Amino acid sequence: MNLNRTFSRLAIVFVALSFLGITLGCTKKNSAKENVLNNAITANLKGMDPIYANDAYSNQVISNIYEPLFEYHYLKRPLELQPLVASAMPTASKDGLTHTIKIKKGIKFQDDEAFPEGKGRDLTAKDFIYSWKRLADPANQSDGFWIFDGKIKGLNEWREKMGKGEASYEDEIEGLQAPDDETLVIKLTKPYFQLYYVLAMNYSAPVPKEAVDKYGKEFINHPVGTGPFKLDSWTRNSKVVLVKNPTWHGGKYPSEGEEGDDARGLLKDAGKDLPFVDKVVYSEIIEDQPRWLNFMKGKLDIVIIPKDNFDTSVSGDKLSKDLTDKGLKLEINEEPDVTYMAFNMLDPILGKNLELRRAISLATDTNTLLERFYNGRGVNALSPIPPGIDGYDKDFKNPYKEFNIEKAKEHLKKAGYPDGKGLPEFEYSTTNSTTARQMAEYTQQNLAALGIKIRIAATSWPQFTDKLREKKAQMWGIAWSADYPDAENFLQLLYGKNVSPGPNSANYVNKKFDELYEKALKLPPSPERTVIYKQMKEIFVQDLPWIPNIHRKAYVLYHGWIENYKRHAIINGEAKYIRVNLNQKAKLAEKL
Amino acid sequence: MTSAQNTQGRSLWADAIRKIKKNRIAVVSFWIIIAYIGLAALCAMDLVFTSYSLVDNTIPYQAPSSAHWFGTDLFGRDVLARAAHGTVTSLIVGFVGAGLSVLIGTLLGALAGYFGGLVDELITWFYSTLDNIPYILLLVAFSFVSGPGLKTLCLAIGLTSWVGHCRLVRSEFIKQRGQEYVQGAFSMGASHARRIFVHILPNTLHLILISFSLGFVSAIKSEVILSYLGLGVEPGTPSWGMMISDAKLELSRGVWWGLAAATVFMFFLVLAFTLFNDAVRDATDPKLRDK
Repeated sequence: MNLNRTFSRLAIVFVALSFLGITLGCTKKNSAKENVLNNAITANLKGMDPIYANDAYSNQVISNIYEPLFEYHYLKRPLELQPLVASAMPTASKDGLTHTIKIKKGIKFQDDEAFPEGKGRDLTAKDFIYSWKRLADPANQSDGFWIFDGKIKGLNEWREKMGKGEASYEDEIEGLQAPDDETLVIKLTKPYFQLYYVLAMNYSAPVPKEAVDKYGKEFINHPVGTGPFKLDSWTRNSKVVLVKNPTWHGGKYPSEGEEGDDARGLLKDAGKDLPFVDKVVYSEIIEDQPRWLNFMKGKLDIVIIPKDNFDTSVSGDKLSKDLTDKGLKLEINEEPDVTYMAFNMLDPILGKNLELRRAISLATDTNTLLERFYNGRGVNALSPIPPGIDGYDKDFKNPYKEFNIEKAKEHLKKAGYPDGKGLPEFEYSTTNSTTARQMAEYTQQNLAALGIKIRIAATSWPQFTDKLREKKAQMWGIAWSADYPDAENFLQLLYGKNVSPGPNSANYVNKKFDELYEKALKLPPSPERTVIYKQMKEIFVQDLPWIPNIHRKAYVLYHGWIENYKRHAIINGEAKYIRVNLNQKAKLAEKL
Repeated sequence: MTSAQNTQGRSLWADAIRKIKKNRIAVVSFWIIIAYIGLAALCAMDLVFTSYSLVDNTIPYQAPSSAHWFGTDLFGRDVLARAAHGTVTSLIVGFVGAGLSVLIGTLLGALAGYFGGLVDELITWFYSTLDNIPYILLLVAFSFVSGPGLKTLCLAIGLTSWVGHCRLVRSEFIKQRGQEYVQGAFSMGASHARRIFVHILPNTLHLILISFSLGFVSAIKSEVILSYLGLGVEPGTPSWGMMISDAKLELSRGVWWGLAAATVFMFFLVLAFTLFNDAVRDATDPKLRDK
């Protein structure tokens, strides 16, 4: 055993040194004096254009640069919307079809060469109309149009005409009006209870026409928003540096939160001007170990504990003494998300053979997956809807989620491929980190037990998402994290009108499911709506366009010098609330 | 072709074999290489270490024991068996990758050295250009475009690593083409192809052999590096690079045996090849012939 230890220590030192060599090379030492928040994103950033912000990584960065009408209260739970660019919450007509939103005065776009003399101009209601047309413009192929699809009067018609070249951005749209610079009126085709939620998403954030015109296709690399930070530099596949935006309209740290926030010291900065840091850095670190080692060296401030470091860091939801001595803090959060394996329903075999999908589902050993890759951090997912969201039911039954090879084999026989005979090799798409590859290998083994062969195609995150958009993937592993606290956000992933390039990458279409989805959209949160969600879950289980895997729990570690940190997966723009205590950092850094 | 080689090189080769036989390190290295080839053959035929893909999720990350000499991996698979099967991948990549690069290098080098002039300039320009791109970057770029897999890996290594062979063969051909035996062949009416392949080539064979075996070692290392980077063999295929790639995560949980097994297997193969290669070079070097 001692020999084991010595060996492993030597080896750790060796690997650690080699990694440090690599990572030190790319991340210059941030001196303890600099007021900077060092973050990591776990995939390569695609770009920073709100209409393409369909993944967690882009949203993390974009939320600091762009601002939609609303945001979530940083501390209150359950989540609560509050105005951001809007001056107040909207007023709605009695029928719920007309919504009037007032916009704060004096909000300026960040200074940029796109404007005369490089000075950012005032944001007006027209900028929203322009930006939303841009989202709807079929030429832009945004994956975010689903937020308005079929919901705003005249927008879909305009979109169709644009597709045929019969319309222009000058055309008026009945459902989007700006009577004056500070007023925006939205007219809906039918009640849409998620409207305010989607107006808090980056897809709906305003962009200036001047910058889009100036930069064209390069606009994705030249963000010009109204947010607290602006882009300083982006070294592709390495890091994004954001600096304080001197012309930001300002904001105050919240003075109330949920119970216990005060005791946790989360209200110390109540009422103070935001943001607290001068600079925010997002390093793109795909592999777990360099990210962890950078964190342990104090070069990153916040990290989710990687699977291979979990057992030595945490036991019984408590941090090890070694780590608490270094001043580290742990936050455990039930994430509103679901990981799953999806099938491309357009695939002539996988998409058309229900029994085959059932067999694959029955052969998937989720409990081992949960243990091996998540250290038990999460729960077995039976449907797309995660805990904490209306429509989640822990007693829900999914008969194909038991791990039963014998049953799986029977279904495979019914599918017409006894013992996998006659099936071609399928391609399983994933991303190229070591952990993603190991998870893909796990799937490969589960299916091999049935006689089904899969080939693993690992690519970078941007390539992977392109493949989904272009309907080129056969089966793949992915996760969805809530954009807003409503089950509709998960169910829209399966809505027939949202097929690729929309968010329904599985290209699943079921008429009954779509009818129920449309019916639920018109309903406010109510038992009646929950019943419809349940029916939709039943249809999902019958068709199995995906195999839901895990609803995750995040174990987030952060350094003792980070103040005001509170996690919620839906809130992305937390950087402006965080304070880096430099005195504390100087002290604690010595212990690392 | 072989007959010509025999008639021309008997004394050199016989001499070389005699010298190698006397060199104990060379003999041991030779048998180690043979043992590796034997192991790879047996593994490829699924006669030994048949448990290499046997998943047992109840025993992940087991430390070395009498049941599993090198412990088990993430999926409870026997690490020793996986390392043994990694030999197959390595040897295939070594032989095919290095073989391909030697083939391309020799052919182009022979043409350039033999014909000289415009042909030489063209080929020299081509390989100089290629050589300006750092080898590993070129290899990574090629693998990135063509995707993972054993075939593309061999192709990538073959197509990117021939410059050294080419240069060597070219200079040797320049040296040889003016020699009397080549002039003799010319006066007897031998065609260009005959002079290149039947007359000069056998005289450069010892160099090509050494160059091949250096390429072999480098191909094995390239496979490991590419698999480590996720650009090598397809996931699921036993490979030392893949084992080392897994190890970079596993080490922090104290699992060292995957790294150890892959390294030990690779170490002895590379060492044996390098030592044997040295011996062959010494034995066939005309300058050292009398020593």
